[in-house]
Amino acid sequence: MVVLRAGLCPGLTEEMIQLLRANSIQTVVDFVSSDLEDIAQKCSLSYKALVAVRRVLLAQFSAFPANGADLYEELKSSTAILPTGSTSLDQLLDSGLYTGEVTELMGAPGSGKTQVCLRIAASVSLGLKQHVLFLDSTGGFTASRLYQMLQAHAEEEEEQASSPGALQRIQVVRVFDIYEMLSALQELREHLSQQVVSSMGPLKIVVIDSVSAVIYPLLGGKQSEGLAIMMQLARELKTLAREFSLAVVVTNQVTRDSSTGPPKPALGRSWSFVPSTRVLLESKEVTLGKATTQRIASLAKSPRQPVGIQAELDIGSAVVTPTERL
Amino acid sequence: MQRDVGSVPLAPALRARLVSGGFQTVQELLETGPCGLSKEIGISKEEALEVLQVVRQECHGDAERTAARSGASRKCTALELLEEEQAQGFIITFCSALDNILGGGVQLTKITEVCGAPGVGKTQLCMQLAVDVQIPECFGGVAGEAVFIDTEGSFIVDRVVDIAAACVQHCHLIAEAHQEEDHLKALETFSVESILSHIYYFRCRDYIELLAQVYLLPDFLLEHSKVRLVVVDGIAFPFRHDFEDLSLRTRLLNGLAQQLIIIANDHKSAVVLTNQMTTRIGQSQSTLVPALGESWGHAATVRLIFHWNNSQRLATLYKSPSQKESTVPYHITSHGFRDVQPPAVTQHAEGAEMNPRKRPRREEEK
Repeated sequence: MVVLRAGLCPGLTEEMIQLLRANSIQTVVDFVSSDLEDIAQKCSLSYKALVAVRRVLLAQFSAFPANGADLYEELKSSTAILPTGSTSLDQLLDSGLYTGEVTELMGAPGSGKTQVCLRIAASVSLGLKQHVLFLDSTGGFTASRLYQMLQAHAEEEEEQASSPGALQRIQVVRVFDIYEMLSALQELREHLSQQVVSSMGPLKIVVIDSVSAVIYPLLGGKQSEGLAIMMQLARELKTLAREFSLAVVVTNQVTRDSSTGPPKPALGRSWSFVPSTRVLLESKEVTLGKATTQRIASLAKSPRQPVGIQAELDIGSAVVTPTERL
Repeated sequence: MQRDVGSVPLAPALRARLVSGGFQTVQELLETGPCGLSKEIGISKEEALEVLQVVRQECHGDAERTAARSGASRKCTALELLEEEQAQGFIITFCSALDNILGGGVQLTKITEVCGAPGVGKTQLCMQLAVDVQIPECFGGVAGEAVFIDTEGSFIVDRVVDIAAACVQHCHLIAEAHQEEDHLKALETFSVESILSHIYYFRCRDYIELLAQVYLLPDFLLEHSKVRLVVVDGIAFPFRHDFEDLSLRTRLLNGLAQQLIIIANDHKSAVVLTNQMTTRIGQSQSTLVPALGESWGHAATVRLIFHWNNSQRLATLYKSPSQKESTVPYHITSHGFRDVQPPAVTQHAEGAEMNPRKRPRREEEK
C-alpha cells in the first residue's frame, strides 16, 4: 500500500494529490482501482492527465516479465546445492540443500533436529569454506559438539583444514523472541544488500534452530497478532532465500491431533506454505541385541522428490554417518 | 535503515494503522515526525510520539547492541562460543555416573529438565544442586549462588542442612588430603550457614505467581550477580489444573520457556526444572511420558528422566545437544545424591586424568 505523494511519478503534483485526498483517494491502489472519469469530474482534473498518471503508476508497480529460458539460465548460474554432511539425507533431498529455498526439519523433542542443523553448519563451513549464519532460539547450539563434528569430518576427509577457521566462519546469533529474530534477519538483509563482507564473508546458508520456539509464545489463547507476525517472518525468509540465493534451514516442532495420531508439523496450515521442502525426523526404538535408537528422516513435502521416501540417520556417534538406505 | 514497519514491537492495532496509512519502512516513519504521524493515521500526538520512541529505540538499539554487547553478546562466532563453553564449569551432582552422561555435570547456560514419578528423587537432585553450585572454585565448583522456586512446597530445609553438611565435610577431607593453602582459605567461609544463606527461596502457589516470579527474575539476578543456578521445582504442578483453554496454557508455557532461556543465557546460569509424569494411553499399551504435552518437550535443552527398575533408581538422558542417550543407576543416601557403588580403583585413575577437577573418591563419603 503505497501512499500517493508528490514526485512519485511525473505529472502527479501536490495540487492533484490534495484534490484526490479530498475525494478519499490516498493510495496508489485507490487511484488505479477507481473510475477515472468519475474522478475527473469530481476533482475537476484533466482526464488525460489522470490517464497518463495511471499508466505510469501501473508500469512502475507492475512486475517485470521474464521468460523461462532466462530464468533457467539465471537458475543455473545462481543456484548452489549444499551438502548436509550426511549422504542419506543428501539423497533424500535430491543431493542437498538448494539455495533460494526454505527447507524445514521437523520432529519431536530429541529426534535430532539440532544435531542435523549442527551437522549442516559443520559441513558447509568446513567442506565448502562458506560462511554460515546460525540463529539459535532455544539455547541448543553447543559449540563443543560442533567441534567434535568438525574434527570427525576433517579426519574422514583427511583434510588439513583447520577446525578453528571453520568455527570462525560460523556466526551464531542467539535470539529469544520474534522481534529479535526479525531484526537479526533484517540486519542481515541490509548487510547483504550493501555487500558488507567485512565480518560475514560469502554467506550461503542461514540456519534457524527453532522457528516455532519464538512463534509459539504468540499463538494460542485469544490473541491473533501472532499469525500476522509469523507471516512477516515467512516473507522475510522467502525474500532472503530468493534475493540473495541463500539456503534457509528452519526447524519446527510436531504436534498430534490425538495421543495416538500421526505427527504433523506445528504452526498450522498457513506456515505449511512457507518451506518448499519439509523433512520429518523420527526416532524409533529398535532392539537389536541392546536397545538403540534408530533415526529415520522422511520427506513430507518436496518440489523434486516423491513424498514419503525415507532415509536412516545415525547421529548418536561422533558423526552423523549414513547407514543403509531403506 | 530498510526495516519493515511490521517487525517493530508495536500493538497490533497500531501496526495495522501504520500499514494502512502507507508506511512501509521505519525510515519513512522517522522522517514523518510525531505531528505528521498523528495527522496521517489519526492517533493522538502522545501516541505518535510513543510509537516513534519505540521505533527509534529499536533502530538505534541494533547499533548499540552490537557495539555494547560484543563482549558477552548474543552474536558471536562459533569459535568464541567454544572458548566460552570450555571456560565455564559444570555443577556436579555428586553422582559421577550421572555427571559423565551429562558431560561433566549440569551445564551452565542451558535448561535441564528432570522428569520422573513421585518420590524418585527429583527434588533431592534439585536440593543437591542448590548446595553443589556453591562449592568454591578451587574444589572444582563454580562458587555460585542458587535461586530455588518452589511450586509444590517440597523444599525441606533440614534435608538441605544434611546435604550441605555432607558437602562441607567432603571438602574438608579433600583439603586435609592435599594441604593446599587456597583450599584451607576457601574453607574458612564455606560452611553450612553460608550455604543456606545463599539459597534464595521463592514459594509460588499458582501459575500466576510463578509467571510473575520468572518474569521478575532478571531484576533479582542483576542484584545477585553470583547466582549460577535457577531451580523451578515443579514446573508442571501449577499448569496441570485451572486451565480450561489449553491453547492459552501452551502459549503461557512457551513464553515461560523463552524467558527461562533468556535468563540462562544472559546470566550464565543453569536452569533446572522438574516435571511430572503422566500416562499416555496407546492402542495396546499405555506408557508414562513427561507431562505438559509434546510441545513442552522442546523447551528444555537437556532432558533427564528418572524412573524405577524394581528397587533400583535409574536416570536416563533422553535429550541432549552434546551427549549420547544413556541410562545410569543412582542412589539417594542420607548425605544426598550419590553413585550406587563407589567406582572401582581403575576408574578413579581414569576419571582423575580425564577431568582434573574431580578428586579421588574416599571411603568415608559413601
